[in-house]
Amino acid sequence: MSDFKLIKKIIKTSGGVQSRSFSLAGLTVGLFLLLASLQTYFYIQQIFREKQIRKSGYDYVSLSKVITNENMGKDNRFTEQEMQELKAHPLIEDVAPLIASRFKIVAGAGNAIPFSSDIFLESLDESFLDTVPPGFSWQEGQMKVPVLFSSDFLEMYNVFAPAYGLPQISEKTGSSINIQFYCEGPLGSRTFTAGILAFTDRVNSLLAPRSFIEWGNKNLAGVQETKASRVFIKTKDINNEELLRFLEKKQYRVNKEKTLSARSRVILRGIVAGIGILGLMISLLALLLFVYFLKLLLAQNTENIRLLLMLGYSPRWIAAKLSARFIPLYVLASLMALATVQFLYWIFRLEFFNSEVDHFPLLSFPVWTAAIVLTLFSFTINFFTARKIIYKML
Amino acid sequence: MIIEVSGLLPLFFEESKTINSDIWGKQISFTCGEKIHITAPSGSGKTTLMHYIYGLRHDYNGALKIFSKKLSAYTPEEMSELRRCRISIVFQDLRLFPELTIRENLEVKRLLHPSIPLSLIEEMTDRLGISNRLDKPAKICSMGEQQRTAIIRSLLQPFEILLLDEPFSHLDDENCRLSAQLIQEVAEKQNACIIYADVKTTSFFENQQLLRL
Repeated sequence: MSDFKLIKKIIKTSGGVQSRSFSLAGLTVGLFLLLASLQTYFYIQQIFREKQIRKSGYDYVSLSKVITNENMGKDNRFTEQEMQELKAHPLIEDVAPLIASRFKIVAGAGNAIPFSSDIFLESLDESFLDTVPPGFSWQEGQMKVPVLFSSDFLEMYNVFAPAYGLPQISEKTGSSINIQFYCEGPLGSRTFTAGILAFTDRVNSLLAPRSFIEWGNKNLAGVQETKASRVFIKTKDINNEELLRFLEKKQYRVNKEKTLSARSRVILRGIVAGIGILGLMISLLALLLFVYFLKLLLAQNTENIRLLLMLGYSPRWIAAKLSARFIPLYVLASLMALATVQFLYWIFRLEFFNSEVDHFPLLSFPVWTAAIVLTLFSFTINFFTARKIIYKML
Repeated sequence: MIIEVSGLLPLFFEESKTINSDIWGKQISFTCGEKIHITAPSGSGKTTLMHYIYGLRHDYNGALKIFSKKLSAYTPEEMSELRRCRISIVFQDLRLFPELTIRENLEVKRLLHPSIPLSLIEEMTDRLGISNRLDKPAKICSMGEQQRTAIIRSLLQPFEILLLDEPFSHLDDENCRLSAQLIQEVAEKQNACIIYADVKTTSFFENQQLLRL
């Protein structure tokens, strides 16, 4: 509308430097806590993403029978009746058997890695897998068997490989190695090429398509039964006491380690959210102080503002110009908070995850967005407060 | 009609005030190009009427329409638009920014209409004999100089209604004549309605209609 220099001369900001600095410090601290907690939240999301076993709000855990001196040597696989009993439990949403291979498998990597080992394969319902990669299927006559490899196995291999003079391999390289499966049973033997399709965190085993296990069990081992030595259950909360009591009573062992890591993330997120809320509250209190400064500014200049209104100046325009006076302070507070969070995040990554830092770790996009949104929000609050007061002066 | 008054009477006035008045409690309207001289002794509500028309006060009975719309129906933003582009005023108490110079006081108004040339300020102040005071703060200028500043300020915008509340009270005859001449020139160019309130019945504008308040 017009040059604001003259208006600045008419509507003067007087005094209050100390209290203004105090509020600026308060706003910076509040924003720092808020942005730091946001960044922590997104970082937790990022580091847990690969380790996530909790999917769509469900825990997926495997159960096996506890082997005691009493039941050693007996058939400790799950019977159909036991499976039905698990399925019928109100806290268990779904059950899937892990069908194990009943024939001998020797895996070797050929000339690439001079290493061979007896292994066993299992199969699991697809709905229980993190992601079913395309190509995870097998038909009779197919020489190549796709497998899903447990990340734990790879980790274990990499621990022991140097001691045996073997190269350590990454997940990416692991996927490109063709493994030879020498399968043998009472009814005969066959050699297959296996390709690792993906690595999974959910199952600490080697998974092959169900059709392959069933074919091998029938044609190599000569067995047709589908009893499972382990079962996977899908439940809302594996830490539910009632469920744990039931499983304990049945003498089923629960692989809870990963569930607990998922739980610890929930607790961590709770703490981070708490800090975030505290930061938000401090920021809001600081903003409230700025609103009071604005009200003071309006009260000190009521006569001159009234005269501007009489001359035809728009209340909206005056409100916007007066609110804008605080923008540099808001921007300064946001920048200081952002810079501090960015610095600490960089130090944190450098200190604790030295190997990961191959480029400067920038804060997550939502953190930048939050800083901008909060600055705009502060301006908006001031604008509406100022406009409301100015309307009353008309 | 640009101003329509119907049964208008301040809340604090008695009904008897309407008896001898041409405006209070009456039905009257004003149109473009008219020059209305409202005369009344002090305390008769001249300033109150000016403030009613300018939308500064609403403590009255009856109805007051500006540009065919009830004044009370204007939103704050519409009101500011009205004051910026359609109604201008010279306040009785002048209402300048005392700490600003004469030039700055005029500039505050001109800034609302950047298309009005800066040279117009020089030209008008020159005509009314205050160009040598342009860079002096308003508060150290005489009442006469301040009054002429207020008059020029009211002319630095487009308007269809010009309200003059005792605009010449601090001016000598010569300055009254010069000021009135300038006002009439600018108002006629825009075919604006002048409403001029004063205690005296002295005529400053041609073809003016005299009303008692």
